[in-house]
Amino acid sequence: MHIPDGLLSPTITIAAFIITIIFWIISFKKIKLTEQQVPMMGLLTALFFAAMMMNFPIIGPTTAHLLGGAVIGLILGPFAGLISMSIILVLQALLFGDGGLLALGVNVLNIGIIGVFIPCITFTALNKLFKPKIGTRLYATIFISTFLGCLTPAIAAGIEIGLSPLSPWYGLSIAVPAMAINHSIIGTAEGIVTVILIATLLKLRPDVLEKSQILGKITLFKHKTKNEETLNDRE
Amino acid sequence: MTENKKLNQKTILICLTVTLIFVLLGVFCFSYANETLDLKADELGLKEQTIYDPPFPDYNITNFENKWSNLIVSVTATLLLLIITITVAKVISKKKDQK
Repeated sequence: MHIPDGLLSPTITIAAFIITIIFWIISFKKIKLTEQQVPMMGLLTALFFAAMMMNFPIIGPTTAHLLGGAVIGLILGPFAGLISMSIILVLQALLFGDGGLLALGVNVLNIGIIGVFIPCITFTALNKLFKPKIGTRLYATIFISTFLGCLTPAIAAGIEIGLSPLSPWYGLSIAVPAMAINHSIIGTAEGIVTVILIATLLKLRPDVLEKSQILGKITLFKHKTKNEETLNDRE
Repeated sequence: MTENKKLNQKTILICLTVTLIFVLLGVFCFSYANETLDLKADELGLKEQTIYDPPFPDYNITNFENKWSNLIVSVTATLLLLIITITVAKVISKKKDQK
């Protein structure tokens, strides 16, 4: 998923950097973190940086790794998610050459912006539509959101590579399916991992999710807040 | 010590353990990487163009490329990332509180 240098046209590279900088500015302005979310942001970022080191065999000789943007976005909100993923991507590019320096804007756009905001938007929309309680419906909503959060960055990468005249992939018809097929498999795995992680947090640490900009809006917490407000009014 | 602090410490310990397990699995079991982009580049006989030489290419120490140097680099990088992210989060949180 990490695009190296020399594969993309300067127009796409510059455009991606501009979009990324705009999103960084908005995220630093809009980010909200509670006391409990501060260590959680560090832990989740470290956890998914480590998860990215595991390369799973998928089709034939191809491997792919988890992305983590969806789960961080759903737990901490999209703005914190973008900042977390940006820190990972900057470190990977600077220290390990995993993703190019010139392609950093494109990689942040794909993994940090699309990979974080799409699952958050999808989850918010599905949550408003179905109002799922804890159970299969909620986990299905999380799974779908995460799956899209893995597939859409891959499609975006395919489009960027396919549209670049410098690319050896000869157009969209080769680049997009190649990226999308492989990442739909890893998206399924990431969806399962995210459901397990969030289900565990809901059971053991619901306080961490309660203040979340995204998961804090699920029916369970909404009812809890309403009940607390009623109790306060009575007092 | 309050119950909340104990709970926080337990969560931190569990998360760090899982992170370490992921690093170990990444280094010793799932280190072979051949992503779609790399595969396509190999098929076409293309080599990556770099504008900068990273200090630890492919998560290894140059001239000491083995699993152990891979493990040292990976663990150090994970801890570094943890410290950087918590520092950034604390700075953001403090600035927001001041406002």
